[in-house]
Amino acid sequence: MLKTKQATVYEEALARGFSRRDFLKMCTTLAATMGLSFKDTDKVVHAMESNSRIPVIWLELQSCSGCSESFIRSTHPKAESVLLEMISLEYSEVLSAAAGHQLEEAMANVLQQYSGEYVLVVEGSVSDDEFITIGGRSAKSILEEAVKGAKMVISYGSCASWGGIPAANPNPTNGVPITKFIKDKPVILVPGCPPIAEVMTGVIAHIITFGEIPELDHLGRPKAFYRHRIHDKCNRRAYFDAGLFAESFDDVGAKQGYCLYKLGCVGPTTFSSCAEMRWNGGTSYPIQSGNPCIGCTEKGFWDNGPFYTRRAKIPGTQTTINPEKVGLAVTGATLAGVAVHAGVTAVVKKKNESSEERGES
Amino acid sequence: MSEQKARSTFDPSGVGTNKRSKELGKIYVWELPVRIFHWLNVVAIVVLMITGIYIANPFVSASIPEDAYYSFLMGWVRYIHFFAAFLFTANLLFRLYWVYKGNTFAKSNPFRISFWKETWETIKHYLFLPNKKKHYIGHNTLAQLSYWIFIGLGSIIMMFTGFYLFFEPQLASFFGGFFSKLGLIFGGNSFSIRSWHHLVAWGYMVFMVVHIYMAFREDWLSRNGTMSSIVTGYKTEKEEDIEEKGKQAEGDKSA
Repeated sequence: MLKTKQATVYEEALARGFSRRDFLKMCTTLAATMGLSFKDTDKVVHAMESNSRIPVIWLELQSCSGCSESFIRSTHPKAESVLLEMISLEYSEVLSAAAGHQLEEAMANVLQQYSGEYVLVVEGSVSDDEFITIGGRSAKSILEEAVKGAKMVISYGSCASWGGIPAANPNPTNGVPITKFIKDKPVILVPGCPPIAEVMTGVIAHIITFGEIPELDHLGRPKAFYRHRIHDKCNRRAYFDAGLFAESFDDVGAKQGYCLYKLGCVGPTTFSSCAEMRWNGGTSYPIQSGNPCIGCTEKGFWDNGPFYTRRAKIPGTQTTINPEKVGLAVTGATLAGVAVHAGVTAVVKKKNESSEERGES
Repeated sequence: MSEQKARSTFDPSGVGTNKRSKELGKIYVWELPVRIFHWLNVVAIVVLMITGIYIANPFVSASIPEDAYYSFLMGWVRYIHFFAAFLFTANLLFRLYWVYKGNTFAKSNPFRISFWKETWETIKHYLFLPNKKKHYIGHNTLAQLSYWIFIGLGSIIMMFTGFYLFFEPQLASFFGGFFSKLGLIFGGNSFSIRSWHHLVAWGYMVFMVVHIYMAFREDWLSRNGTMSSIVTGYKTEKEEDIEEKGKQAEGDKSA
């Protein structure tokens, strides 16, 4: 089943009926997706001609398979060209033809044969042992075994990266991000619920091209895809600056395409490429189609207050409040307290003065 | 005895005593830089608060409900907020320097045991309990503590979180990188940092209410010109208190 000598990505492509021209087109698209300059296309071409496909193990823990579903909708590069030519997906519960013992055996083989070479992809958070078992083993032990020989780890989705929805308050399964169990391997966080397909394939393309992890930001996300806020690239941004806001989902403003800020859009606190790369082959993205951003790439997005309202979180808690309302109430309470204190002061002053007068007379 | 008793409960400067008229004198308390700092800070905080609330919750929309081309309402509000923020920051850094450079009333040192003892006495005083609070020509230690907490710590939080938000669109820049690392103290992600910024902002409002009330109250009880002192710099105090303060200031210099 496993070939001893791996063909290069280019050879695989030719074998599948690609022309040289098609191959170069694919490389150019890839370079653009990765955020490389057009001049660097030759680096991608060179890498695809000389590197063989990278073995990939795709673990699925506490997840909804949404990340896998998003991945297979990649249009540039096409998901099938990633799956068939660029990577060699050795283990995936959603996409593998094999199942059961056969599949588990395949994984054991890869862990052994390609130790130190394969890329580990994880989707979903890790729970306490009793909540998720695959082939009779707990999620944590599967992850720890797979990490040992991995070259690097890609964390797809908000669950694997931050804990995500399974870890949302009250977190019944004690879900934690995979980074808690990975200390000595580079981890690339690709958060999102799910991440954009082209971001997912772009990260893999970068690894194949350069053989190393892409440049990461201070939270461990690839800068190429997470350096911009949605708010700063939003197609409705001009309406924000102008001060034109949709007040409800069915008013004139919403029809005109005004900013969704007052409908609780969290684009201003969300780092993602949605506004630039968009979804489904660059067709649209939530804000463009009239829905406020829910901030799914951000840590704890599920607990950052109800969707479609603007909130602030009290530090160290899961509690979110409307800062203006609570702030006004607290200030009002202070005013009331001050009034009471002034009243008491006046009474005491009066008493002191009258007692002094009596003492003097 | 009766005078002492009156003092210890409520009448720190001896307003009710008929001796006060002959012993009064003027003392220069707030130097010009302190007064300029104070009023710039007032302007900055009021402007920041109003524009800040607008940014958080845009309570009016642009008057021309057409294309975005015709208006720049939120844009201007944000510009004013940023401008006031830089003013606020520079002003505050100057005041921090003046804690070191200024006169005895501009200084404060919370790293003394007596500071906390006096604060406790002052708290009891404001709760109308028996206490040994002395009369302060400048700020009492509780007031000093409130400045350290709200104007000191509060401002540091506002500045750090605010500059993070300011540089958020360019996290790859030098300042963006610096403040994003600093932002890890406040939870690291944009939402947490923003939440800090929103919540601490309202701390200023609470502070403002108490601060203005206390100033009027002091003026009313002590009749020492507290309210006018922040414009003129001078307070009217009893000669014996002024002399005592003068000796202290001498001691400060020699030490």
